[in-house]
Amino acid sequence: MDALQAKIQSIFEGKIDFEGQKKVEQISRVTLVAAAVVSFIVGFALQSLRATFVIFISANIVLFLVVVPPWPMFNQHPVKFLPAKSPSNDKKSS
Amino acid sequence: MHTVYSRINNVSAFLSSCLMALLAAIALSSLVFTADPKGILDVQSLNIYEGHTRRYHNRWQDVTFVNFNLTADLTPLFNWNTKQLFLYLQAEYVDAKGVKNEVVIWDRIIHKKDKANLSLNGRNKYVFRNLGKSFKGASAANYTLKYNVMPYVGLLTYGEAARTGPLAFPEKRTEVA
Repeated sequence: MDALQAKIQSIFEGKIDFEGQKKVEQISRVTLVAAAVVSFIVGFALQSLRATFVIFISANIVLFLVVVPPWPMFNQHPVKFLPAKSPSNDKKSS
Repeated sequence: MHTVYSRINNVSAFLSSCLMALLAAIALSSLVFTADPKGILDVQSLNIYEGHTRRYHNRWQDVTFVNFNLTADLTPLFNWNTKQLFLYLQAEYVDAKGVKNEVVIWDRIIHKKDKANLSLNGRNKYVFRNLGKSFKGASAANYTLKYNVMPYVGLLTYGEAARTGPLAFPEKRTEVA
């Protein structure tokens, strides 16, 4: 029961590692700025606000699909913890 | 950015900033379009009759009837950020007491570019009466066609498309000819 709960929780939390977080940050920043600039230019060229917002909104839907779920590419650098020290060593050092 | 919720939060926060910048750019882009189209407005006839006042039916008040002819190509005012155009015909005169009056006697809303090339015969849509009892002593009136461009994003802009020379108010007529 607890294992199932933990599994469900991890699916909903969708944790990614530090490298993945950096990647997400870069992707979202570049995509959002580019989407705004490109949609403005295309809309202005075509003289159509509809074109502007279709481009901007579809770029954002794609961005959310790429960035929000914990895809495996954001989990390729898991944090490696040092091996736990044995309790006897711990007592000597303190 | 480590969980789904923090990613949604972060991305949508920056998304809203980008959206605001995009909207500001669209609003500012309207400044590039400086079309100032002109049309021709002819007042074909002016008639004054007596009518009942709006509130008291035993009192009488002068009512002016204006027939006009209008040709104007306002399609240049439609750009990507134009939602609609509000057109209005305005009579401007100084009444006997020296007060300047601007009375809207006709208007039209244009939603589409292909309906902005106007050529029409019209008459006043709204009752044209002076605030006093009659137009006696009022100066000659100018009739102007003005427009108000309503954008999707940004500021309303006003302009004038046509103007007639001063036209004196005629004598009151007692019978409908």
